[in-house]
Amino acid sequence: MASDVDTAPLVGRAGLVQTVRSALLGDVAHGQTAAVFLTGESGVGKTRLLGEIGDRLRDQGALVLTGSCLDIGDASPLHPLLQALRRFDADLSAAQSRTSSAVRGLLQMFADETAGPDGAGALLERVSRGLHLIAEGRPLVLILDDLQWVDRSTRQLLLYLLAGLGDLQLSVLAAVRAESLQGAHPLRRVLTELRRLRTVRVLDLAPLDRAGTEELAAAVVGRPLPAEAAEQVWQRSGGNPFVIEELARDLRDGRVGLSETLREIFLDRVDALPQHAHAVVHAVAAGVEPVQHWLLAEVLRLPEEELIDAARAAVAHRLLVGADDGYRLRHRLVAEVLAHELLPAERSGLHRRYAEALTAAPGELHQARLAHHWRLAGEPARALPAAVAAAQEAERLHGYAEAHRHWSVALQLAGDSGSLAVDRVELLGNAAEAAHHCGEHARALTLLEELAEVQGGAPTCALHIRRARYLAAAGRSALAEEEYQRALEAADCSPRDRATAAARLAELLLYLGRYADAGQRAREALALAADAEDSATEVVLASSALGFSDAYLEDPDAGLAVMRDALDTAERAGQPEDVACAYLHLAELLTGPLNVLEEGVVVARRGAERVAELGLGRTWGTRLLAIAINGLFRVGQWAEAEKVVAAALRHRPSGADAVELLLARCRLSVGYGDIDAASRDLDAVATLLAGGGARHVIPLLTLRSGLAMWEGRHDVARQAVQRGLTESRSDDVTILSALVWHGLRAEAEAHASRTVAVDPTAVRRLRDVAERVARKSASAAGPVRSVVDGFLALCAAEVSRLDGSDPELWAASVAEWDRRNHPYPAAYSRLRQAEALLARRSRVATAGKLLRAAYEVAQGLGAVPLTSEIRELAGRARVSLEEREQTDTARGAGPGEVADDELATLTAREREVLALVAEGLTNREIGQRLFISERTIGVHVSHIFDKLQVRTRVQASAIHLRNRRG
Amino acid sequence: MTEPVWGPVHRDIVDLLADHPADVPAVVDHLTKLQDLLVRLPPLEESCPLADFNKLYLTITSSVLDGLYDDRFVDPVFLSRLDVEFAARYFDAMRMWTDSSPGTPKAWSCLFERMRGPDARPLPSAAAGVNAHINFDLPFALVTTFDHLESEPVDGSDQHHDYLEINNIFADKIPGLRRGYLERWQLLIDMLNGDIDDWYQGELVEYTRDVAWRNAQKIWRCRHDPDARECERTRLDDNAAALGRLLLSPLGAFLQ
Repeated sequence: MASDVDTAPLVGRAGLVQTVRSALLGDVAHGQTAAVFLTGESGVGKTRLLGEIGDRLRDQGALVLTGSCLDIGDASPLHPLLQALRRFDADLSAAQSRTSSAVRGLLQMFADETAGPDGAGALLERVSRGLHLIAEGRPLVLILDDLQWVDRSTRQLLLYLLAGLGDLQLSVLAAVRAESLQGAHPLRRVLTELRRLRTVRVLDLAPLDRAGTEELAAAVVGRPLPAEAAEQVWQRSGGNPFVIEELARDLRDGRVGLSETLREIFLDRVDALPQHAHAVVHAVAAGVEPVQHWLLAEVLRLPEEELIDAARAAVAHRLLVGADDGYRLRHRLVAEVLAHELLPAERSGLHRRYAEALTAAPGELHQARLAHHWRLAGEPARALPAAVAAAQEAERLHGYAEAHRHWSVALQLAGDSGSLAVDRVELLGNAAEAAHHCGEHARALTLLEELAEVQGGAPTCALHIRRARYLAAAGRSALAEEEYQRALEAADCSPRDRATAAARLAELLLYLGRYADAGQRAREALALAADAEDSATEVVLASSALGFSDAYLEDPDAGLAVMRDALDTAERAGQPEDVACAYLHLAELLTGPLNVLEEGVVVARRGAERVAELGLGRTWGTRLLAIAINGLFRVGQWAEAEKVVAAALRHRPSGADAVELLLARCRLSVGYGDIDAASRDLDAVATLLAGGGARHVIPLLTLRSGLAMWEGRHDVARQAVQRGLTESRSDDVTILSALVWHGLRAEAEAHASRTVAVDPTAVRRLRDVAERVARKSASAAGPVRSVVDGFLALCAAEVSRLDGSDPELWAASVAEWDRRNHPYPAAYSRLRQAEALLARRSRVATAGKLLRAAYEVAQGLGAVPLTSEIRELAGRARVSLEEREQTDTARGAGPGEVADDELATLTAREREVLALVAEGLTNREIGQRLFISERTIGVHVSHIFDKLQVRTRVQASAIHLRNRRG
Repeated sequence: MTEPVWGPVHRDIVDLLADHPADVPAVVDHLTKLQDLLVRLPPLEESCPLADFNKLYLTITSSVLDGLYDDRFVDPVFLSRLDVEFAARYFDAMRMWTDSSPGTPKAWSCLFERMRGPDARPLPSAAAGVNAHINFDLPFALVTTFDHLESEPVDGSDQHHDYLEINNIFADKIPGLRRGYLERWQLLIDMLNGDIDDWYQGELVEYTRDVAWRNAQKIWRCRHDPDARECERTRLDDNAAALGRLLLSPLGAFLQ
């Protein structure tokens, strides 16, 4: 009976189980993350596999949490995680009291959570700390079924944990119905981005083949099937294990003739059910799974024994599954079959009984379920308060997407019920705000329109400001500007509202690059704020707009003074957010347009300390530290920058803040040449960006190409840049100019190393983009132009490398970066200038000086790949990098060259030439490489032949290879 | 034993489809490789109806790529994502067809079925592919893209402008292939861009090019409701499949 349910063996999946096991546990390095997403059609056996793999991982010592996502469409944020924790807790024995208290602690944390600023990020951090406690050092595996129904909060949590921000060794195994991905499912994009990562696998679970089908059918029946029956099972099941099993069972039990479709199989079974069992199946279909036993009893009002008999019968007919936490339909397909079998009145009756039973017994997803059942029971007035409560509950857990849906349902219910008990204005206001928070801007604006209609009369100033805010968030700047104007003109506009509108308008104009207008509005806002009470927020906002617009209009001192005053105002008024905001803008102003890096770094670090005292370390503190890190990187204090990154990451930031920090750390790792660390951070950023955030894609791709070049993978570098070029807006001139430089450098490196052919089309396109950037930046503000000019100088010089590197262009680049006080690109440019001079065999002494200067900087930074390029060039050109070394080389043999082999008779230079002969280079090429003439190489080669007593290059190469050390 | 779906190039196509291109240059590369394989597919080889479509699609996507490099679009982030997402659906359909999955959209399977013959004329074949791709795939690709970029399909937005710009690329490229069959092509394009109901209602002139956009807006509004979304999907698939069959019927040959 009940034991019949899972007896069929798992056929044809042994390889897959093994792959997934090692991907999730075996191959995962300590402290790292991994994920496997199983996709496949209904009935292909995903759930079964999740269970199977979960058991094995548990046996291997992993801590396994399992949850499922729900399809009631209006579930609650993080439901699958909460469910997994509850299930896990229920399974713990008394001996595991420490784990149990950690689980309960985490569950309690959810219960105590309150809505507030930065709530979502802080919640992620607390969840990961909680999971850390529960795991107690064991690897943690999170298994999620029916991921196609996942809520947005859970999706963000998964990406956060997989990006390694939770500092947990975590693996995720999730199943997704392939059918769901075909439409417009948000997971599609997430999976496309994630599947590129080394730590993520997306595995498609195919139906069984013919042999697998027969094996499974034979196992169910207990003997091999006759050929004709086997053929029929294969034809009708298409290899779908669920269908095979059911067909084979019909065969075994001698049910006459095979049913044509699965629907028929289940309809026959439903028809054959005893009366009470019939009721049980329909009741579970109407409920939210799992349906607990007590709840089923309440809904059906059956005596205990009859209920148990009925449930057993439904299980025996393979329509229902019973587990500790309640009953579920055996398969989604069963629900589809049952959907049309009840009269509407019967169905609403069931929902009513569910709602009544649940009202008396608060539990999991209480309000969401109540709203769901009352609504389907045809009782909008009773569903309404539950929907409102569910929306508030979702907002408490920062799930604005879910809240928005509950508010929308509530609005509809309020309309249906004609209830006067609720304030429609308030409902609309809440719905609009939730829509705005979860990015549904058009919906937010529509709701606001409706709100204005319900309120009647002329729209208020507050409404105009709100509408403008939504419009600005939707990127509809022109309309937002008009709306702020209307707010300023509204009759009911208070002085403070006026100041707010003007300050926000200034901010918007600054964003649009209209600096003069922004400055004017900002001055207006400051004047208005002076007359208004409690207007520190407006002062900070307006001052920053003014500060930046002055800086862009090249009056840096005035801008700086304004911003410093704003900080004083904020400190006097004492609102922590205002203080934090003022520090942030001041630091951005200094490190951005003003390029006063050292001072900017000091301000950012002081600000981070100050806001930590004010309790805003996690959010604003992190942002300030990110500014400090980027400043430190540029002024060349990498070791210090590294320390600050570590300190900032200890806050476990999330979202855009985390992306900024990871990119900053990656930039350092690329500079250091730490390929593993850099790749890890790039993957982590890509993981976070899979959830959205186009703004950071170009910096990510720029770093990816920089890293690939150090690895000598110039084609990979080219691909990253090409993707970037097709995905960046041409008005982001700063970001674009850095990307183009990387692209041209990749082609130049490909040319120099000869490992990859230069792509002339790519070069042409890059030059076109560089020209476009130059054109656009000509009309940009001075500070922007100045950054772009640095990169354009690099671009021009890289182009020359494709055709006889021009030392003058490199000298220009050196000057640009020296002027801006950025030692790293300046050192790189010096290296290339020296290389160009040496290639022309002119001004060798200057080249030596340049190389020594570059070497000193690169070594000071710890920039390993750059240092070794400088060393390599110096070696080839016989330029000594240190004064002491110079005397060594002057005496003859290079340092550390021991020659006690067949090559002992050769000079150091001859050995160098021989090595290149062995690489297959011609004399001309060797000459270019070593900066000496082709004729001189010929002389060297003939000496080599004499000394080694050989007559061909091949023979000489053979001796070289034989004697090569290591 | 049944013959593999893609005949002698089965392995190559399966391997190619195992890769999921993530940017527009990669999509162009993918389509180029696919073209080389499809024309080797017996029995029709050079006149494989899918190759007819693929060739047109490759031409169009290459133009989109050039447009991206040449700064032709206002919001390249949007357009690149859309292009990748759009192409992914064509590759998905091929993957499902490879697995003989019942989930293969009918809009596509009516074209795939014809790979074994009888021969169809190149123009209607390409048109049947364009039909499946625009009338069925495009609205969903739009919705996914907007969802990912946390934006939304708003008329008159930058994204809408870029979207319409793609229509110009289609218009640019298709005449080159049609060799003087202007009126018929115009009629066809209008048919393709309208779903059949709209076409019958004769409302097409004003908004034909925008049908996929409007369908995307429709799906956008119900995207959180799995049932409604699925219902919309079935509707679009049925419509596109009906039109596709029409194009591949002898009637479609009038276009050539």
